[in-house]
Amino acid sequence: MILLWLLLIPFAAGPLAFFLRRRPLMEAVNLAAFAVVACLAAALGIRVLQSGPVSLWDGFLYADALSALIVLLTAFVALVCSIYAVGYFRHDEQYTFFNENKEVVAEIAVFKLRKYYSLAPLFVFSMLLVALANNLGILWVAIEASTLVSVFLVTFYGRKTSLEAAWKYAIIGGVGLSMALFGTILTYYAAHRIEGTETLAGLNWSVLVQNAARLDKTTMRLAFILILLGYGTKAGIAPMHTWKPDAYSEAPVPVAAMLAAGVLNCALYGLIRFYILTAKCLGPQFGSQLLIVFGLLSMGVAVPFILVQKSFRRLLAYSSIDHAGIMVLALGFGGPLGALGLFLHMTFHSITKPLLFFCAGNIQQQMKTDLFRKAKGGLIHSMPWSGAGILLGTLAVTGSPPFSLFQSEFTILRAAFGRGYLPAILSVSFLVAIFSGFLVHISNLVLGPDPGLPSGESCKWKKSSVIGLATVIVVLGFWIPAPLFSLIRSAADIVVIGR
Amino acid sequence: MYFIYDPQFGNTMITLMAALVLVLQIATVGQRGLITTIRMFALQSFFLASIACTIAFFNQAGHLYIAALLTLVLKAMVLPYLLERTVDRVGIRKEIEPLINVPLSLLISGCLTLVGYVVAESFYHPEETSARSALGHNTLAVAISLFLIGFFIMLNRRKALTQVLGLLSMENGLFLAAISLTYGMPLVVELGVFFDVIVAVMVLGILAYRIGETFDSMDVGKLRSLRG
Repeated sequence: MILLWLLLIPFAAGPLAFFLRRRPLMEAVNLAAFAVVACLAAALGIRVLQSGPVSLWDGFLYADALSALIVLLTAFVALVCSIYAVGYFRHDEQYTFFNENKEVVAEIAVFKLRKYYSLAPLFVFSMLLVALANNLGILWVAIEASTLVSVFLVTFYGRKTSLEAAWKYAIIGGVGLSMALFGTILTYYAAHRIEGTETLAGLNWSVLVQNAARLDKTTMRLAFILILLGYGTKAGIAPMHTWKPDAYSEAPVPVAAMLAAGVLNCALYGLIRFYILTAKCLGPQFGSQLLIVFGLLSMGVAVPFILVQKSFRRLLAYSSIDHAGIMVLALGFGGPLGALGLFLHMTFHSITKPLLFFCAGNIQQQMKTDLFRKAKGGLIHSMPWSGAGILLGTLAVTGSPPFSLFQSEFTILRAAFGRGYLPAILSVSFLVAIFSGFLVHISNLVLGPDPGLPSGESCKWKKSSVIGLATVIVVLGFWIPAPLFSLIRSAADIVVIGR
Repeated sequence: MYFIYDPQFGNTMITLMAALVLVLQIATVGQRGLITTIRMFALQSFFLASIACTIAFFNQAGHLYIAALLTLVLKAMVLPYLLERTVDRVGIRKEIEPLINVPLSLLISGCLTLVGYVVAESFYHPEETSARSALGHNTLAVAISLFLIGFFIMLNRRKALTQVLGLLSMENGLFLAAISLTYGMPLVVELGVFFDVIVAVMVLGILAYRIGETFDSMDVGKLRSLRG
């Protein structure tokens, strides 16, 4: 039943917010819904740890440790985003960012807020469905649905540039996902030829994984390539990453954070499920090599763009391409270490990225620009919390100790050196280049003499989400709660053993 | 009237309709008028629905009738109607010069069809072919060609609406692949996919309309302010 409630609550919260119309009510519905979802996700995690996989309706919905981890991360990101969104959109409404001609039109504000508060729960619903659907076809439908919902959230501000970003996002995502659908059809075809899998269950992951060794090898090879291209597009792996900087920089900050920390995980989740099938069918070698090539390419592509970046919102997007690359690389290195590193990294990244987006959003709203050039420097004087937060987030996300991403990247690199020197050395040098480029940009933005700007941090919603996330990051650097770690370990076991 | 029940006859019909689908797709590559392109897509979807019906008839696959009906209603009627209305409202009826000229585009489509046949060859398992289950297997090559040519249309054309049509014909290729390989996906999945396609076209239609309004043109080549 817990699975049903997890899906039902966000699905109902969207239309509810749509009909309530008034801002405080819509905010309350969103906050309450995501708080309940977060509690349910935690409960699901504990249940899976104690008594194994949970399923509902003949295995139509299915949650093992891997799904439970993704659900937990998605629910956490959704909750912090909804807290931040309250402050963010109130600021937008107050300073009439919604309409460019600066007239205070209350109707436009209500329209925009309704759009966000009713679509955000549906967006979260589709992401949760990705993790909970057992059927690989439904998984595809859910990922496509999350794209379609988020296209409207990307066009939120209605600027020319946001239209451009949304168009690229929708078209590139559409082509990518049609490849993924082709891969799914081929997987179904491979399963179809085994006795007793000609029904709906023939696409269920839990059924497929038991028969994986008997699947047709030629078909699975082609299917995996198509899936990698398809879900790779959605995860923003190079060279299919071009929509990412545009969508991340044009979307409202809470949406960008959900794209970077929610959709990314969901797309990788789809890829991981198919990778497990392919590895059982063809042996791990075939998938690994492809994944390592694409992972290194994504990290390499991100380097020059981070070094010469002009806008801090786009900087975060390239960092996200880099991290998608790291996670794909970890999956490719495989083995117990690679898989453990992958899920540690996914967890820590999903906590750190929202902090960076929130601080960047605060700075953007205060300075009314996202360009380094116009934002001057010394932001730590006028915005101590956001300034400190973005600096801390930068150190964490580039993998410097003592923060937890250092641990996960270290684990992944150990797995890398186990496989050969070339990919390991390449990834170390990319990591170093990204670390230095990122840190130079952000320290120029945050540190420096006081330019004498008025203090700009009064909103308690924005401040509390930044402080809360920063606390979580610091604590996780030193201490991972035992249940969370065993959930991550069991998820890694699923990748290694395949059940 | 007994010849209707003969799988041989069904096979001929499917091959004929698949050929028509492919011809329509290649004709789209060389077509400039937007309305004509949309109507060609509608006709293609109609033939696709007929193929699905024929396969359903010979394999007693009941759920395929539903998929065929949905294709007929949604892809051959509703979507073309919505797209034509968008064209009317934006008031742009001609495609600008594609990136690659028409003769060369046709040649490339021919090559892509060849690729489709080569790829489809690897899925041919003659040992398990009875006359009935072989039905439709020969359309896989057409399906892959549709997918590839649709992708080529998206790369080659610059109008927002033709890109949407390219995406839709890729989707048609996928549908044909699904029915020719496995007599369609499970019904729940099929319904989900249809729902997503409809919503996707509406989303893209709205975006195309707003691009047309905002930029006074549906040329997506003009969308180039976000860089780096």
